[in-house]
Amino acid sequence: MPEMTYLSAISDGLREEMRHDESVFCMGEDIGAFGGAFKVTDGFIEEFGADRVWDTPLAENAIIGTAVGAAVEGLRPVCEMQFADFIACGFDQLVNVAAKMHYRQGLAVPMVVRLPSGGGFSGGPYHSQNPEAWFLQSPGLKVVAPSTAEDAKGLIASAIRDPNPVVYLEHKHLYRRVKGEVPEGRYEVPLGKVRVAREGTDLTVISYGAMVGIALEATDDLDGASVEVIDLRSLVPLDIEGILASVRKTSKVVVLHEATRSCGVGAEVCALIAQEAFEDLDGPVMRVTAPDVPIPFSPPLERAVLPQVDDVKEACRELLAY
Amino acid sequence: MTTTTAKLAAIEGDGRKAVLTEEDRRALLRYMLLMRATEERALTLYRQGKVPGSYYDGRGQEAISVGTAFVLGPRDRACILHRDLGAHLIRGVRPGRVLAQMMGRAGGVTGGKDGNMHFGDTELGCVGMVSMLPDMALVTCGLALSFQMRGEPRVAMTWFGEGSTANGQWHEAMNVAGVRKLPAVFILENNQFAYSTPNEREFAVDPVKRAEVYGFPGVKVDGNDVEAVFYAAAEATERARSGGGPTLIECETMRMHGHGAHDDMRYVPKEMFDVWAERDPIDRYEKKLSDDGFDTAEIHASVKEEIERETEWALSQPMPDPGDALQGVFATSEPRLGDGNAPWSRWKEARDA
Amino acid sequence: MSSSPTSQAVEVTMPQMGVSVAEGTIVEWRKRVGDWVEADEPIVEISTDKVETEVPSPASGRVSEILVEAGSTVDVGTLLARIDAEARPGVAHADEGSEPEVPSSQFPVPSPGNGHGPPISPVVRRMADEHGVDLEQVEGSGRRGRVTKKDLLAFLGDKPDTRHQTPDTPAAEPALHSESPYREEEPAPAAGHQLSVMRRQIGEHMVRSIQTAAHCTTVVEADMSAIEAARGRLSYLPFVARATIAALREFPMLNATLEGDRLTVHDEVNLGIAVSLGDEGLIVPVVRNAHELSHEGLAARIKDLAERARSKKLTPDEVSGGTFTITNPGAFGALLATPIINQPQVAILDLEAVTKRPVVVGGDSIAIRPMTYLCMSWDHRALDGALAAQFLSAVRRHIEGWDG
Repeated sequence: MPEMTYLSAISDGLREEMRHDESVFCMGEDIGAFGGAFKVTDGFIEEFGADRVWDTPLAENAIIGTAVGAAVEGLRPVCEMQFADFIACGFDQLVNVAAKMHYRQGLAVPMVVRLPSGGGFSGGPYHSQNPEAWFLQSPGLKVVAPSTAEDAKGLIASAIRDPNPVVYLEHKHLYRRVKGEVPEGRYEVPLGKVRVAREGTDLTVISYGAMVGIALEATDDLDGASVEVIDLRSLVPLDIEGILASVRKTSKVVVLHEATRSCGVGAEVCALIAQEAFEDLDGPVMRVTAPDVPIPFSPPLERAVLPQVDDVKEACRELLAY
Repeated sequence: MTTTTAKLAAIEGDGRKAVLTEEDRRALLRYMLLMRATEERALTLYRQGKVPGSYYDGRGQEAISVGTAFVLGPRDRACILHRDLGAHLIRGVRPGRVLAQMMGRAGGVTGGKDGNMHFGDTELGCVGMVSMLPDMALVTCGLALSFQMRGEPRVAMTWFGEGSTANGQWHEAMNVAGVRKLPAVFILENNQFAYSTPNEREFAVDPVKRAEVYGFPGVKVDGNDVEAVFYAAAEATERARSGGGPTLIECETMRMHGHGAHDDMRYVPKEMFDVWAERDPIDRYEKKLSDDGFDTAEIHASVKEEIERETEWALSQPMPDPGDALQGVFATSEPRLGDGNAPWSRWKEARDA
Repeated sequence: MSSSPTSQAVEVTMPQMGVSVAEGTIVEWRKRVGDWVEADEPIVEISTDKVETEVPSPASGRVSEILVEAGSTVDVGTLLARIDAEARPGVAHADEGSEPEVPSSQFPVPSPGNGHGPPISPVVRRMADEHGVDLEQVEGSGRRGRVTKKDLLAFLGDKPDTRHQTPDTPAAEPALHSESPYREEEPAPAAGHQLSVMRRQIGEHMVRSIQTAAHCTTVVEADMSAIEAARGRLSYLPFVARATIAALREFPMLNATLEGDRLTVHDEVNLGIAVSLGDEGLIVPVVRNAHELSHEGLAARIKDLAERARSKKLTPDEVSGGTFTITNPGAFGALLATPIINQPQVAILDLEAVTKRPVVVGGDSIAIRPMTYLCMSWDHRALDGALAAQFLSAVRRHIEGWDG
């Protein structure tokens, strides 16, 4: 099996789907001639032509809204926001038009919105966000966030084949730092299923995106404790049964995400566990997240805000000792 | 389809060559009468307390939606505004379904999921509007994009008010349509007021002039003259079909009712209102047809009978089951837009094909 | 871990909580023998004169002896326990962490005053219930001595508990080391059962009444001859009821309800009659507008209400709105009683046994008469002893002067 970076896996998945189905096309700023700000679509315009790799004007609502129109007519647009943060400029079309179309009219909107998300490189408040929680509040959108190269390719394929609008969060920090074996050819990773990144018995860390690696690193050798790490990878739909199975096993849970604290995905997961697995708990359900601040620019400030390995170790230790 | 394509190629750029037969002209009047009758009946139901929420109509603007939608072929697509019931009726939505929709019944177009004019019949190729305006202009660009990418001689048409041309998304839509030369037709209904805001507070420049700046033609027509509207739309759709790009058509009219039934229009100067009342599009066209020797009494009778029948049907529709509220958030299959009615005689061959 | 008292032992004695307090009761020990305790940390919870309080440890050290067990009551000054102040903190019991408490802990800290030791987590409670485990018997290795899921699993023998280190000499108490599957026999718990809902409710009402009203009981003796002659097959109760009603007409202040500061004197007499339901308890159905009924009418109503009370067919209206209550357990032969007032009424009359007694009649003669004691408890907030006595005298007058 070839080994490739997370970024290459996304490209590979996109390319495979575009070869397989000519109704799949890409649209976004600088994705064509330039190959994309992060080079995800590098080489695409040469292979697929300008018609299927569209350099759009600088207008996020236009990108999303046009994608909706194309999708209801049977095409499968894959939109790219240059940074996840800019989804705010296309928010109206995404939550008011795309998300509600099927509910109101029974029309499928098979489109994908790719969001390069996350911080850790002094991107500052407008290039570092993890906005996934906004979309948990928009019924009608599906949301996925791969953490491995294999899942990145499989989930972009599933997202494209899904008849619903899917928000795909690709964490920028993982683009070149995560490498892995990726199966050749087309394959899909199902939505709504967790991945057990490591099995364990004493405590569960539930996470997604860039934090999965942090969770694994922090709990690899933690005072001899056996820590299970769950990679959610699908936020809507959420694999409730997968989460609860782990809670029943270890009875201690730390939920970890890079996004800010209040009403994040962690809040939803914790509430679910508290309600559905109360009698399986041997300690309070904990969260490790960024605090409720915009992501700052200067490295020491940013490091103080984004969850670090030591933060995760500390939380796990406290809970293990409870 | 090849027959139609050949026909398309034969038509010159001057839309005036588009032909309206006698039957077409009768149809134009009938659709305007049907729109007005449906809206009057809906207003009555609203006043009787049968319509939850708010009620909006397009009284006085009937010529616009009827004249423009009449040019559409079966495979064309439309994103219809709340002032344009005529477009829905031309595409084939029964008045009874519209009334049931207003009343939130299970038999309404959205089955109670959305209200008033926020509907589009999937099977008839219409995409329902959202409240945020003019979001549908961008969706129209997307529909047009798909025709362009597939090389199909199809057109996407949409309507919006002059007020929404102040919005960023309107400009994004114009820009995208212009830069890609999309096969889209944008109908701008200038009915003088955006709720209570008159034109002079909405923009500094007549919006039709903006089209040029975005790289395509803008034309202005008397929005209360159904045939003038029709010819302008025919020319625009032919331009789009043949790869000539988009057109912005500004139809001048006046909104004769309030923004909604809850609005008493006190901000409209009486003289202005009276002037426009004299220009009622239905009265004008009826007079024109009468002058040309048509007997319109039969049309009136047929519309009246249809409305009675449709109202009875609508009132017999049950309210939706509360369990429906949780259904349909996600698609599990891919229902696609179907083709709409195309009553214009020009499409007869396509229909019969 | 036990050691003989040394000259460094610090004594823990029963404190004097209040000048007049002479003794105290041990409610619960917060530390076991062998535990480390900090100076001023609560070491034991005691109860004196109905007030519960924690006793802070006089010193830091290791508890070497506990001499008085929970539940015992001893005089002030009694030696309760000894602390070895020379000892060092360390791993004697696994609930002593070697690290200090993390100050920025996110855990909710239970308030020190709730007095029931470390929390039992949901999974531990459920598993303990499922397996019938008494958690007192399980070593807790979690924070504050908490029994963790792991501890419980180890106790149940699911996996060996590798975290608890046995000292060389086994502790005198508590239970034997959990590594061994052997369990010493638990003494059988005393037979007992939960009170029924009705019992609990009656109990709560009684307690509330005692706590609310200023109970006094006045007793008057009455000669029942006249009623004896008149009653035929009826019981005494309807006659006494009729006499009571007549007396209430003369002393309406007794036909009243007191709620907070508000005293309401009622025109109508709604007479509550206590009905025994055997083991289940009692209930007080109300004869509404009893003042309109003759003794026969009262007898009939009382009989009907009693039957329906026993067959649980009373309506809510029939057990509410009473203005005065009579209780009549006299069939069982007791002479006197101090009944508890039926809130929010201001008095209750207890009719005990009617027994033949020699009494002085006329001037100095002795006769054998059927006598009874009319025992009325009344609320001193609403009235005084003089009025109570006058009222009871009126009842007696009506009883002794009975002529139908």
